[in-house]
Amino acid sequence: MQIYLPIAEMSVNLFFLVGIGGAVGFLSGLFGVGGGFLLTPLLIFSGVPAPVAVASVTGQVVAASTSGALAHYRRGAIDLHLAMYLVLSGVLGAFGGVAMFSILRNAGQLDLVISLGFLILLGSVGTLMLVESTRAILKQRKGVVVRERLPNQHNWIHGLPLRVRFKKSRLYISVLPVLIIGLAIGFVGSLLGIGGGFIMVPALVYLLRVPGNVVIGTSLAQVVAMMAATTILHAVQSQSVDILLAFCLMVGGTAGAQFGASAGKYLRGEQLRGLLALLVLAVAIRFGLSLVIAPADPFSMAVVGGMQ
Amino acid sequence: MRLQPSFHLQTLRLLASFFLFAACMIAPAQAARLISQLSNDSVEITSSFDGERMNFFGTIVPDAGSTEKTVAGPFHVVVVVLGPTQNRVAREMTNTFGIWRNTGQVEFDNFPSYFHVLSSGRLGDITDITTLTTNYILPESHTLATSNTDWWKSAVFGQQLVRLMTEQGLFGVQENGVNFLSDTFYSARLTLPSNAPPGPYIALTYVFKDGAIIARKSEGFAVRKIGFERFLALASTQQPLLYGLVCVILALFTGWLGGVIFKR
Repeated sequence: MQIYLPIAEMSVNLFFLVGIGGAVGFLSGLFGVGGGFLLTPLLIFSGVPAPVAVASVTGQVVAASTSGALAHYRRGAIDLHLAMYLVLSGVLGAFGGVAMFSILRNAGQLDLVISLGFLILLGSVGTLMLVESTRAILKQRKGVVVRERLPNQHNWIHGLPLRVRFKKSRLYISVLPVLIIGLAIGFVGSLLGIGGGFIMVPALVYLLRVPGNVVIGTSLAQVVAMMAATTILHAVQSQSVDILLAFCLMVGGTAGAQFGASAGKYLRGEQLRGLLALLVLAVAIRFGLSLVIAPADPFSMAVVGGMQ
Repeated sequence: MRLQPSFHLQTLRLLASFFLFAACMIAPAQAARLISQLSNDSVEITSSFDGERMNFFGTIVPDAGSTEKTVAGPFHVVVVVLGPTQNRVAREMTNTFGIWRNTGQVEFDNFPSYFHVLSSGRLGDITDITTLTTNYILPESHTLATSNTDWWKSAVFGQQLVRLMTEQGLFGVQENGVNFLSDTFYSARLTLPSNAPPGPYIALTYVFKDGAIIARKSEGFAVRKIGFERFLALASTQQPLLYGLVCVILALFTGWLGGVIFKR
């Protein structure tokens, strides 16, 4: 069944949209990530204009993260104080990201920056995660008891000025790294159409030493708030949010995420992280190849300005 | 044919007056007139829009003041369908330091977003290249107007742009697209693709005899979103803030509902 997308101005198969929404939702439920880093490339590869894909996926990420964030909130697993700092700086970063998005689109370099951004981000995060999870799995095989890193181990980052106490995370640290993380993820997330959960979680764990029980919840809450703001910014600035496209993806995504979450119970944490690392690396390699392999068609076209 | 109110656009009026003017200036080789009709004067984009078929038909008759009862052929008919214009850029990727990226671009102003030519024979047989170019019947003739000063670069990029548009089904030339059912009665069929951009369209019909244009006519039709699609498209440009807020509320609601439905 074909459905006409009024902003993308093209007709797409409805089942295809709900299907990729569901498949990505399954993976996002399985690994506890937003899934934007998979959905945006998939839409672009299937012919949706890159600006519309990026802007509409931000709306989908909001929906995908909401049910998870609510569940964590009920369990009290969100550090709202920490999330607030992250969101405020994240929205600031998103302003920069959306402005940069428009500049790059007009200069014809948006695709290049999106490819490079995905390659660098996903490549480095994927490699780190793969190394870490492989080590954990090997240690477990040998029978070594894996000691969790203590949350109150400090490093130099915590010693920076402007210290704030985050009660729920049991942290008394400088806000500067918190704000910088928020700013960076807001900028990158709005530019690439990803929630940034897969950068946020390692950043909170390894840089800020946020304890494991509030990491996922806080990251999800931050993603919901920041992506909601980004959706509005994209709607105002580039006017390329396709509400029908976003809705089809949301419906598939929220349903798929529930099945993913229950499937995730059968896998151990380090196995999940290893699989996610492989997935992330695969997407990174796909983008890397698109940069170095000669394109099938060196010429491309785009509409500049509006209809007249 | 009565035009839709949405057609009362400056460009269309200008074009119409231009054609009237041109028709008066150029004394036709033979006094002939074209009576033509479109199958539909508006194409409506609904949620299930998947392209639409259009028919153009008409007959060639003696001019109003002419003493002759019949017109003598053979005639050739060319129908040119033009979509709304946009500023479009063509870009070229080159390899620098192992990375492929866009390095060159040429902007073409007022480039048609849709352009199809239907003719009753090979264009080269119907008339000469000058007539085809000056009347904008060839796709390449639209690439001549560019702000770029490098002539060679514009020509290369223009040709590539036409190729890309053709691959998208937005440009095309069908040299057997017009069929003569009798000596003077023709019909042509065009399938508008699902990615046909919305806006005002013009169908220009030219009648050729011995390589010269002896009659022409322009008709307009609209491709437009109606109902819910129109509402959404308008809302996104006229009330972008509200539109964005609604998107977010919809997302929050869907996410919440998903959690409630699948709660175990």
